[in-house]
Amino acid sequence: MLRKSVFLLTITAGVLAPTGLFAAPDPAAKPLKEKAAEPKAVQDSPLVSTEWLEKNLDAKTLRIVEVSVEPGVFERGHIPGAQNVVWHTDLVETVSRDIAGPEKFTALARRLGLDRDTTVVLYGDNNNWFAAWGAWVLAQYGLVDNVKLLDGGRKKWEAEKRPLDTRNAEVAPSTFTAQAPSGKLRARFADVLAVAKRERDEQILDIRSPDEFSGKVIAPAGIQELAIRAGHIPGSVNIPWAKAVNPDGTLKSKEELKALYAAAGIDGTKPIITSCRIGERSSHSWFVLNRVLGYDARNYDGSWTEYGNAVGVPVVNLAGTVWGGR
Amino acid sequence: MRTAPSGEALPLPPRSVSAPGRALPVRAAIAATTAAAIAAGLAAAAWHLTGEPGGTRLALSLVFGALFGFVLQRSRFCFYCQWRDFLVAGDPRGMLGILAALAAGAAGYAVVLGAWMPDPSGTRLPPDAHIGPVGPALALAGLAFGAGMAVSGSCISAHLYRLGEGSPTAPFALVGTGLGFVLGFVSWNPLYLASLSEAPVPWLPRLLGYGPSLALSLALLAALAWPLLRRLPAPEAPGRRDPLHAVFVARWPVWLGGLAVGALGTLAYLRVGPLGVTAEIGGRSRQAAGALGLLPDRLEGLDTFRGCATAVRDALLTPNGLFVGGLVLAALAAALVAGHFRPALPTRGQVVRGLTGGVLLGWGAMTGLGCSVGTLLSGIMAGAVSGWVFGATMFAGAAATLWLGRRTGLLS
Repeated sequence: MLRKSVFLLTITAGVLAPTGLFAAPDPAAKPLKEKAAEPKAVQDSPLVSTEWLEKNLDAKTLRIVEVSVEPGVFERGHIPGAQNVVWHTDLVETVSRDIAGPEKFTALARRLGLDRDTTVVLYGDNNNWFAAWGAWVLAQYGLVDNVKLLDGGRKKWEAEKRPLDTRNAEVAPSTFTAQAPSGKLRARFADVLAVAKRERDEQILDIRSPDEFSGKVIAPAGIQELAIRAGHIPGSVNIPWAKAVNPDGTLKSKEELKALYAAAGIDGTKPIITSCRIGERSSHSWFVLNRVLGYDARNYDGSWTEYGNAVGVPVVNLAGTVWGGR
Repeated sequence: MRTAPSGEALPLPPRSVSAPGRALPVRAAIAATTAAAIAAGLAAAAWHLTGEPGGTRLALSLVFGALFGFVLQRSRFCFYCQWRDFLVAGDPRGMLGILAALAAGAAGYAVVLGAWMPDPSGTRLPPDAHIGPVGPALALAGLAFGAGMAVSGSCISAHLYRLGEGSPTAPFALVGTGLGFVLGFVSWNPLYLASLSEAPVPWLPRLLGYGPSLALSLALLAALAWPLLRRLPAPEAPGRRDPLHAVFVARWPVWLGGLAVGALGTLAYLRVGPLGVTAEIGGRSRQAAGALGLLPDRLEGLDTFRGCATAVRDALLTPNGLFVGGLVLAALAAALVAGHFRPALPTRGQVVRGLTGGVLLGWGAMTGLGCSVGTLLSGIMAGAVSGWVFGATMFAGAAATLWLGRRTGLLS
């Protein structure tokens, strides 16, 4: 009896799926067996698996967007149907330091065919750092629940030897119009300073490497030092972003993530501010805290390059690095 | 003393490197066995690299480098020798081969670029393509590089394949190149502030679109080929040749090598990056000079430019390092089979000319953000105006130096 109904359900789903009636991320379109292997319904989860994405590549309401750091990575082969976003120029203002303004973002979203009723899957190189940063920018313009990260990013897709394409996707433009970005997901300098001075009861999560956090180095090896002082914002805790990730690039399970952050005293009871050097790696942890665990988290994109240069603010420098003087 | 290019008249030049009395003997059977071992070693290395995470790119670089070295050695694809053959001996075939490489590569690049960047009219440049700033510094770099070619006997890529042929000049020229790079780093900041920071970065497809830009490039190449074609020597009587002999022993006609270089340039751009042979030399020089405290604290804007990037290496194996390694080893294997491997002990003149010419080559390649391969070949193929400017000044510099050298009796 049960078997028969499963069979019928599968048939129905199989017939309906190509018609586009089912929005792309519909778990019913999969046989029950897989559903057991992948318990999270895709609508509710901010993540999609590589397996799910490959099966749904042709879905009409799906937009796949690559946000990689390395130039030429997208062009030499991307997930079929994916479109390219260059974070250096597309997602930011190039003269002032800010996320792309409403006008610029509207043009981008329209070109990519993004809208509130499309499912957007973001992925990229470097463990989805910049894809997560893209998700943070999209979220400020109201594209939140329909925006997913490809769990494991480019790395996992390539490791599983799934197909890549070099041709350009042709996507119908959308009519999306961006309003002024919501400030709820973004922490500003004044917010962070208030926490540092204990005027506000919030938590700062610094996801840089332990050596950057302690002040031994100002920036990771090979990266220009863009701050004048070393150390971290008082009151912040250090959990490097990579601790949230499995060796294959996927995020750890919700339970593991909760335990990881709880060990440092972050359990979602207080608002959280994520911070790093320029605010990109920290969007990865913002995504984990806010979108995966559902905590109240904001990203501080000014990060150490803003705070470490500010005059007269309190700094903790565990390593005792002294600026200048040789 | 015989000088590097003097004996190199077509079709199969006696090797200048084997100055009489100084040549070291090479046995044919040992040579063939060694060549086979090198080929097998390269294949095994590529096989091993593909198994490593992220190793596909490295393996491909090694394979492309090996193919490039094989083609360069087989067809004697050397910018300076071909230019000299034309200027001194009046033989235009080599220069036509270089033009063939540019035409084939420009067509191939247009196909790739059109797919990667359907609309070239924006402010963006296609990823990785060697499109550099055009200004007085580039012209100066081209002139210096050309002079370096004339003094040392060839350009950097040719020194690399000649290293595989056992040339006694090449090692000194390459050491000189490293020193020249360091000089280039030292002079970079003033040049950048005086000229490069505001220099335009013109790209023909942005100005014209892909079709017209390719048509213009091909028309320019045809216009350059026209006077050369009229000076072609009488065709040789077609002799029946064993195909294996034709591929592995006899020199290829340069046009054939040129077409192969054009195809390789396109394929390498598609999968790994534009052809270039100086990124590794420059990067390692920068690392060494930095460690010795010879570098300025900051090289203004250098890492924001396209071309043979000299960013400091953090890995032992880099794509460009493997490319250059594959080039030298494959050239060695090819030279061994063809009987072109003629190692010789260097004369004092070869040492001095290698080093001084090398310094000029290195300074030019650093300041021009690439050499005759990275800036000229890969630039012109991509539709970069910088490639044309570097090419014109490089050939002018080489011609002027050769003329002056012959007048004073220092060069032959």
